[in-house]
Amino acid sequence: MHYMLLIHGDEREWATLSEDEQNAIREEYGRFAQRARESGKLVDAGELQPTDRATTVRLRNDEIVLTDGPYEETNSALGGYFVVDAGSIDEAVELAKQLPPSGTRAGVEVRPVYVQSEES
Amino acid sequence: MKYALLIYSDPSVVDGLTNEEILARREEVMPKWLEWFEYLQQHAKSVEGRELDEGTTAKTLRYENGEPVVTDGPFAETKEQIGGYLLIECDNLDEAIDMAAHSPITARGSVEVRPVVE
Repeated sequence: MHYMLLIHGDEREWATLSEDEQNAIREEYGRFAQRARESGKLVDAGELQPTDRATTVRLRNDEIVLTDGPYEETNSALGGYFVVDAGSIDEAVELAKQLPPSGTRAGVEVRPVYVQSEES
Repeated sequence: MKYALLIYSDPSVVDGLTNEEILARREEVMPKWLEWFEYLQQHAKSVEGRELDEGTTAKTLRYENGEPVVTDGPFAETKEQIGGYLLIECDNLDEAIDMAAHSPITARGSVEVRPVVE
């Protein structure tokens, strides 16, 4: 089964870090990714630009409406993700515990990737 | 440039529906999303995507006083929940927004377009 680790963090706190500090954290995430890759558990990973670079597309009264910013303004925002291969959600949570120290990270949501049911 | 199209929808649209009704709804909606996926394959330089299981199936890991705490459910109980994402490669943000605008979103959903760190 594939699971997505959705990394939520405090963007304002992240923005106060110097580029060197941000890159040091990126390197730690890179080492996590490397270990996950070596153990055959890494499927995919990515880092998103901050939400002030986002545009949200909505449908209002049958018209497409664009707004600047994320779908919802929250204290913490989705900043990146990993897709991992694990035997169960608990195993995926254990893997999430091996992420670098939390720092500006507020939490990690672990969500199963949808698989079409083969029953019926 | 690579862009993430984050697809959000209101999970309460299926509140009160039976499993059969939810499946029937899915069968009605899925072809529209697949059509959009084909559109993206034709117009973007590359496209890949994943659909996620519902937020109720999620677990969330947080740290409190340095100790890991795992709770059931999504990270945030927002009205709309992420239900999937697509990663597309195209020339610029306007193109990515235009592709998102072709999605079959309804009035109870949204698509957030976010550049990916490269």
